[in-house]
Amino acid sequence: MANTVVTEPRINNEKGSRKWSSNISISKYIAYLFLIFLCVIFAIPVIFGITTSFRSQTEVVSAGFRLLPVNWIFDNYVNILENTSTAPIMLWLRNSLYIATFHTLLVVVVISITGYGYSRMNFRGRDTLFFTLMGISFFPGVVNLIPSYKIIDALGWVNTSWAMIIPGLAGMGNIFLVRQFMNNIPKELDESARVDGASDFRIYFSIILALVKPVLIVCALFSFTGSWNDFLWPVIVYTDVDKMPVTAGLLLLQDIYGNYRMIGQLMGSAILAIIPTLLLFLFAQKYFVQSINLNSGIKG
Amino acid sequence: MKKKLNLAPVFFVGPHLILFAVFIFLPTLYGIYASFTKWNLMSDPVWVGLDNYRTILFDTESTFHTQFNNGLRNTLVFVALSVPLLIVIPLMVAVALEHKKVKMKTLIQSILYIPGLISISAAALIWSLMFNKQLGITGNVFGSDTAWAAHQPYAWIIIIVLTVWGGVGGNMIIYRASISGVGQDLYEAAEMDGAGSIRKFFSITLPSIRFPLIFTFVMTTAGAFNVFGQPLMMTDGGPQQSTHVLMMYIRQLAFGNGESIAGMASAMAVLLGLVILVISALQYYVMNRNAT
Repeated sequence: MANTVVTEPRINNEKGSRKWSSNISISKYIAYLFLIFLCVIFAIPVIFGITTSFRSQTEVVSAGFRLLPVNWIFDNYVNILENTSTAPIMLWLRNSLYIATFHTLLVVVVISITGYGYSRMNFRGRDTLFFTLMGISFFPGVVNLIPSYKIIDALGWVNTSWAMIIPGLAGMGNIFLVRQFMNNIPKELDESARVDGASDFRIYFSIILALVKPVLIVCALFSFTGSWNDFLWPVIVYTDVDKMPVTAGLLLLQDIYGNYRMIGQLMGSAILAIIPTLLLFLFAQKYFVQSINLNSGIKG
Repeated sequence: MKKKLNLAPVFFVGPHLILFAVFIFLPTLYGIYASFTKWNLMSDPVWVGLDNYRTILFDTESTFHTQFNNGLRNTLVFVALSVPLLIVIPLMVAVALEHKKVKMKTLIQSILYIPGLISISAAALIWSLMFNKQLGITGNVFGSDTAWAAHQPYAWIIIIVLTVWGGVGGNMIIYRASISGVGQDLYEAAEMDGAGSIRKFFSITLPSIRFPLIFTFVMTTAGAFNVFGQPLMMTDGGPQQSTHVLMMYIRQLAFGNGESIAGMASAMAVLLGLVILVISALQYYVMNRNAT
């Protein structure tokens, strides 16, 4: 199976699919029906949320359920952007962008190196160590919330970006994922490279890294979104309004705008806050479907 | 006989180990220590031994005992309702998107992922409006006169709807990335043998992505045990405490209004951590064994 030529089976396959066309078209309609049904259900609240940011407060509380506003207004966004003294949202967005970008870059470095260590290297107690760390990391965050704050305080990181960038690098979830993907890569690959005298760093850098690219992109996306949307931790470590990331700021806005008093403004701020993560997702998603064939990888 | 010490693993595993020690191990250790103390976050913890655990587990008179039992039961209900949906729906989506003849994959994938990008407070606001008796879809479109958050089973339904809506995207992405790594030649060989879609799914796709499946199953379950935001914002624990999950009690005790009872909260968190640990280990063990 390793040595199939890429182009030829494709041609065969097209002939093959014609033969099975009735079968394929039925499954195609089932797949479509399911996906469209789900898309409609998933999209309605999103559209409703977006259009709410273009509604006046009177309309929100009196017009009943409408997917589109009766009158489109832009006051909410104008107010959000003008209110820079109590709610400097552009500044918060810039802080978040800085934090999430640095955090994500470091995550990718740490998880790929560490994943390599726990998957491709042999040392005594490797799996015991790994599963002990996993076990410890399963304790709910509230157990260590206050002690974590004390450590951040001792390091002098309160009200700095370090408090958001560094602690999250210790997490085990992404490392587990990367390790599992690396376990799936045939051992022969690095063994033959090792016979040729390649060092671990070289194997990591020129062989394994390329093969786990899709999962690294997934982890990067999750880290970015996770860092961007984290709100419990920033609320604890930031007291300085100008240094805050956007989620902590949105929480402030909830106090300023009130839960049901200025829904349009609240929604508008939330919409502004998802734009960067949305752009990253749109950019990253083409890599998920980019087929990497691990089997043909053996040929090296 | 001098054995050459291999320092390479230290380089690969060491940096993360230091991070782990400082930012997870030490704080967790301190949290576990705190569970054996009486502590209000202000003054120093006072050692009380197993008192907190005894109260939570065996003192039927105590409110902590009732809170823990009720919270754990509700958390288990949430796990049982949400986890199967958060595994099966994303898997079905990923497989349906794999279908060669399906177009607009990128658009569909984006629509299903976007809810996951919306912060929990904004998401809860949207759904509160959607389920609002006067303003929302339940009253206006379905003609339901019920205040959903205040009645069961609707209270669970709105929590689960919000959870699934926001959570499907993440697992879907993991499955998509995993399926993209499955060798196309395997499918082609199977097609030439006349295998249909269902056969291909069970014989090729499922076995090939069993590690991502284990991962998502374990992590989704562990995440579900930590549920907190959705019930807090959608139902505030009601009606009659039936959606009051354990994490809500823990946070109330530690950081709520009034004097902090952080020692007791830590003990509950440690017990919850042990439950998660046992269940995760069981899942990993069972799935890993059955798959091979």
